[in-house]
Amino acid sequence: MDSQPEPVSYICGDCGGENTLKPADVIQCRECGYRILYKKRTRRIVQYEAR
Amino acid sequence: MAPNKNTAFAALHELVKHHIESFDYFVDEGLEKAIAEIKPVRIVDKTSGSTLKISLKDPFLLPPKQEGRMNGAMFPSECRQTKTTYRGDFKIDVGFQYDGGVDIRDRINFGHIPIMLMSKLCHLRGFDPQKLVKHKEEASEVGGYFICSGLERLSRLCMIQKRNHPISVVRRSFRGRGAGFSDKAVVIRCVRGDQSSVNLTLHYLQNGSARVGFRIAGREYLLPVALVLKALIETSDREIYVSLTCCYNEKYQKDKGAVGTQLIGERAQIILNELQGLSLLTRDQCLKHIGIHFRPALSKFETESDAFVGEAVLNEYIMVHLNNNRDKFNLLIFMLQKLFALVDQTATPDNVDALQNMEVLLIGHLITVYLKEKLEEWLQKTKSNITEEMQKKGNEFKDLELVKKISRRHAAYVGRSIENLIKVGRLATLTAIDLPQREGFTIEAERLNYLRFISHFRSVHRGSSFAKLRITTVRKLLPESWGFLCPVHTPDGTPCGLLNHMTATCRVASFYDLNGQIKDFLKVRKSILSLLIGLGMTSLKQWLEHAGPPEVLHVLLDGCVVGSIAYAKVEKAVLHLRNMKLVSSSGIPDDLEVGYIPVSEGGAYPGLYLFTSPSRLIRPVKNISFSTDENSNIEFIGPFEQAFMEISCPDGGNGGRRDLFPATHEEIHPTGILSVVANLTPWSDHNQSPRNMYQCQMAKQTMGFSGQAIQFRADNKTYHLQTPQSPIVRTASYNKFFLDEFPVGTNAIVAVLAYTGYDMEDAMILNKSAVERGLFRGHIYQTENIDLECNKIMSEKSAEIFSRRKDAYKSFVDSDGLPFIGQMIHPNQMKYCTFNNVSSQSKATLLRGSESMIVDYVAVDGSGSKGGIRKVNIRSRRVRNPMIGDKFSSRHGQKGVCSQLWSDVDMPFSSVTGMRPDLIINPHAFPSRMTIGMLLESIAAKGGSLHGKYVDATPFSNPTPENNSEKSSGRISLVDELGPVLASHGFNYHGVEVLYSGVLGTEMTCEIFMGPVYYQRLRHMVSDKFQVRSTGPVDQITRQPIGGRKRGGGIRFGEMERDSILAHGASYLLHDRLHSCSDYHIADVCSKCGSLLTATFVNARKRLVTDAKSSLPPTRSSSKVTCGSCKSSKGMETVAMPYVFRYLAAELASMNVRMDLRLSNEVRT
Repeated sequence: MDSQPEPVSYICGDCGGENTLKPADVIQCRECGYRILYKKRTRRIVQYEAR
Repeated sequence: MAPNKNTAFAALHELVKHHIESFDYFVDEGLEKAIAEIKPVRIVDKTSGSTLKISLKDPFLLPPKQEGRMNGAMFPSECRQTKTTYRGDFKIDVGFQYDGGVDIRDRINFGHIPIMLMSKLCHLRGFDPQKLVKHKEEASEVGGYFICSGLERLSRLCMIQKRNHPISVVRRSFRGRGAGFSDKAVVIRCVRGDQSSVNLTLHYLQNGSARVGFRIAGREYLLPVALVLKALIETSDREIYVSLTCCYNEKYQKDKGAVGTQLIGERAQIILNELQGLSLLTRDQCLKHIGIHFRPALSKFETESDAFVGEAVLNEYIMVHLNNNRDKFNLLIFMLQKLFALVDQTATPDNVDALQNMEVLLIGHLITVYLKEKLEEWLQKTKSNITEEMQKKGNEFKDLELVKKISRRHAAYVGRSIENLIKVGRLATLTAIDLPQREGFTIEAERLNYLRFISHFRSVHRGSSFAKLRITTVRKLLPESWGFLCPVHTPDGTPCGLLNHMTATCRVASFYDLNGQIKDFLKVRKSILSLLIGLGMTSLKQWLEHAGPPEVLHVLLDGCVVGSIAYAKVEKAVLHLRNMKLVSSSGIPDDLEVGYIPVSEGGAYPGLYLFTSPSRLIRPVKNISFSTDENSNIEFIGPFEQAFMEISCPDGGNGGRRDLFPATHEEIHPTGILSVVANLTPWSDHNQSPRNMYQCQMAKQTMGFSGQAIQFRADNKTYHLQTPQSPIVRTASYNKFFLDEFPVGTNAIVAVLAYTGYDMEDAMILNKSAVERGLFRGHIYQTENIDLECNKIMSEKSAEIFSRRKDAYKSFVDSDGLPFIGQMIHPNQMKYCTFNNVSSQSKATLLRGSESMIVDYVAVDGSGSKGGIRKVNIRSRRVRNPMIGDKFSSRHGQKGVCSQLWSDVDMPFSSVTGMRPDLIINPHAFPSRMTIGMLLESIAAKGGSLHGKYVDATPFSNPTPENNSEKSSGRISLVDELGPVLASHGFNYHGVEVLYSGVLGTEMTCEIFMGPVYYQRLRHMVSDKFQVRSTGPVDQITRQPIGGRKRGGGIRFGEMERDSILAHGASYLLHDRLHSCSDYHIADVCSKCGSLLTATFVNARKRLVTDAKSSLPPTRSSSKVTCGSCKSSKGMETVAMPYVFRYLAAELASMNVRMDLRLSNEVRT
């Protein structure tokens, strides 16, 4: 396992608030307690060419 | 009842109403009624003699809520995402009573029961569109289905015999019931208040008598009819004789409608004599006789007397829809008379396949029946468990806590079996439920497009038992179905005619009245009865003084003979009853079925049959004899009465009606006979009828706009059209059912010409630039649900979570082990990565298949886990732009395959506008198929788009009024309506245009028909279907190439292909296909003993020498091989053969059969 894993951001499926979780964290929104979280779209470049 | 009459999308709610109402019935009434009908069990302790009574009291079914700490409301979208079931807790108060002492109540949890969406227990009930959207539903969500493990499932309506109505049947299999049985019978399906049913068959015997047949736990029992008659009430032979013969009167014998003949007297004699033979004279004797013989069949009676058992049989199995024994007696007499009329051919048998004698089986009623049986099963099981426990530990009987514990043991099984019924659609029952089929009660609601989705709710199946039958009579389109089942919307092929769809206007009678209140059937019947008596009916107490048809007609109300009415008065009474249906204050329900069968010569058995029962099909028509007011004269009629009603149809020809019988009713609109999907075909009245059927099929396979809530759904596979359009030419139904919410196609400019030859044989040419601009652009979304909890082995406490190993795969997956959103993943690249906490090992899962995907979303589900990501949904997106081989169709059954994406510059162009078509089809598509509607659509859409208006294309919309036809010389044709619009904009009157060849730039020699047509893109796409293989995986046993597209297999070169190659004499090719490219093998055969299996290698090290240079299959020398049985290498030869041949030899050897090969150069002595 990753020694210092970078936290990943998720968006709550209910209230839309942003949650940053580490691997061992409980999967739950901090604001409303909803348990379905969506991953945020990556900031990385996913396509180099646009033809 | 739809949540609110005035809500948006009311027409859509109306389409699924029967599902929701039936489930509401289960919640409101069925549950309580079923539990009330369940008899408590008594356990007797043999040592102390004390008894324990266990009874079921009040049920509690709760709305779905979230599991765990929060206990908040659970909404359906969450169930879809987390792949759980939308269900509510189900509890019952169970009473335990010792020796008639205090009844101690205990609330036992019976598991969960799935809750139908939009039913009374659903949280979404009554939400307006804004609120629905807030809870991640479509704005137009209608409900009517269940969510089981994340899958949407709904019930399939099945046709069953109309309840509480005796029908006469001629069936050859009845002869097999025993010696002397004839093929004639009268059958009735009796339904109790809790919707459970018992069928009763009255068989006719060759000797003139009759037998009453019914089933207990799957076994059929047959009783002499006189035994049942005498056991029911205290009666005399004379009463039975007179009752039976009253329908015969010499005076009317030759009259029209007389059903009795003088044979009835003799038969009555025979029936009564049968009992004399058994020396059963009084009611008590009869009851005892029944009791003695049925005690073994009904296990629950131990201490009761024989007469009590006999009475219980009558109560529980004979005409269970009636509570009064006198009523049962009367109905049995009526059935006997009907049976004799059938035998004497004074009345025809009823058609069991006709809709007239059918109703539908609704899911709410089925659940009620099934739950009742499962609860009874639980009671029996608890009883046997307690007695078992008692035997083990003598005096534990009084231990209430232990008894409670035992009864809790199997309670959750009840809820589980209901969930299973919905999940697989099968009844796991051995006994009581008297239904013609056991499986196929639920189907998955596919949301390929909205039309397919909504069609599921409207589909009605004839019964799965008929699917296997080879006779086709059940599949026939019968005139009785007019207006109830759509003649167009049935699939072609195996389910043709068995799987029908209800028309857009058809509904199902329910337990709820217009105000959403549960109907009080007792009150309703009472008010009908008093009205009937006011109309001249003499109510029936005894049959003695009564006459039969044609003098008087019997009146049956919900399968109970309530009286008789003079023939002269019937017609007036029927008219009055119908008018009273329309008056809301009359107490007569608006869906009362007034089935008046008039007297006829040898026709259907006459009578006045009234039905108030639920689950009948009903449809609205205008009652023109009542008032001309448009709103107050809508009457609901059923299929039973429809056959005897005079309904005119404003379709232009009035359905071939004559003036002899004046119409009392009128169809609201001729399109009322079409289903929702069939209604959407523009000008379907101008098409050849099979084309409209094809369109109904193709509309349901179309890639459409899948919905606004797509972001919150986790369907396994969704097709999504990115650039849909609203059709220019549309029918009235299109707006009525809000189909702009879910459009399914694009208005494409279609030119009808033979161009380039790429449009031969239903191929079509797409304009490449149009495609690049987004025409028919679509995507496939696939969701993969990964639950690591499921993977773990039971014993091992392994904890696998999603995580990335070090920084190893940084470019592929995120640090949580899941892919980046929006990233493209290619085949054999990493999709996600898991980490096992126990073994400290990482595992990467790669993308399988040959197509890359884009990660659309990743949803992490935290419910039910302590820490770390265990459960995720990964949705992939794959591009499906139109390409060669994709399938398209217009709305007129004209399908075609794209054969070329033709470049825009080479497309033909219009001389005036310079427009190039999006799509070219061949003119040969029209003459034989006669889809004139498509040509009309093209002209109309052209005019409509020039005008900036939608064009109404409702079929049958301008009928010829017969009196008008004299004034103007016929109606103006549709073309003459559409043509001037084009002409006024400077276009050709008939929609043709002068085109120039795009390649040569020359004017085409003829004018080309060109205009916009609404085209659908079907889901069959080459990208999902192409299959190609050179070399690849082979089967382990046979070493032949495997089949299957997913596994990289090949396409079978089968017998027929072999034959055709053989016929061509292409033997080298055949050898190549079937041998060299398949399981080519060189075997060592001992020519001495002829064995294929005894070869052993002396020098195993060098045996795998493949000849890389030569392209020929590898060979090797036989010198190093010896025969194991001959112990010599002398006779060893190499023989090329299919590997399966060697396998065959091995298989035969295992059965002790030796295969002996005779080689041409054998060295045998």
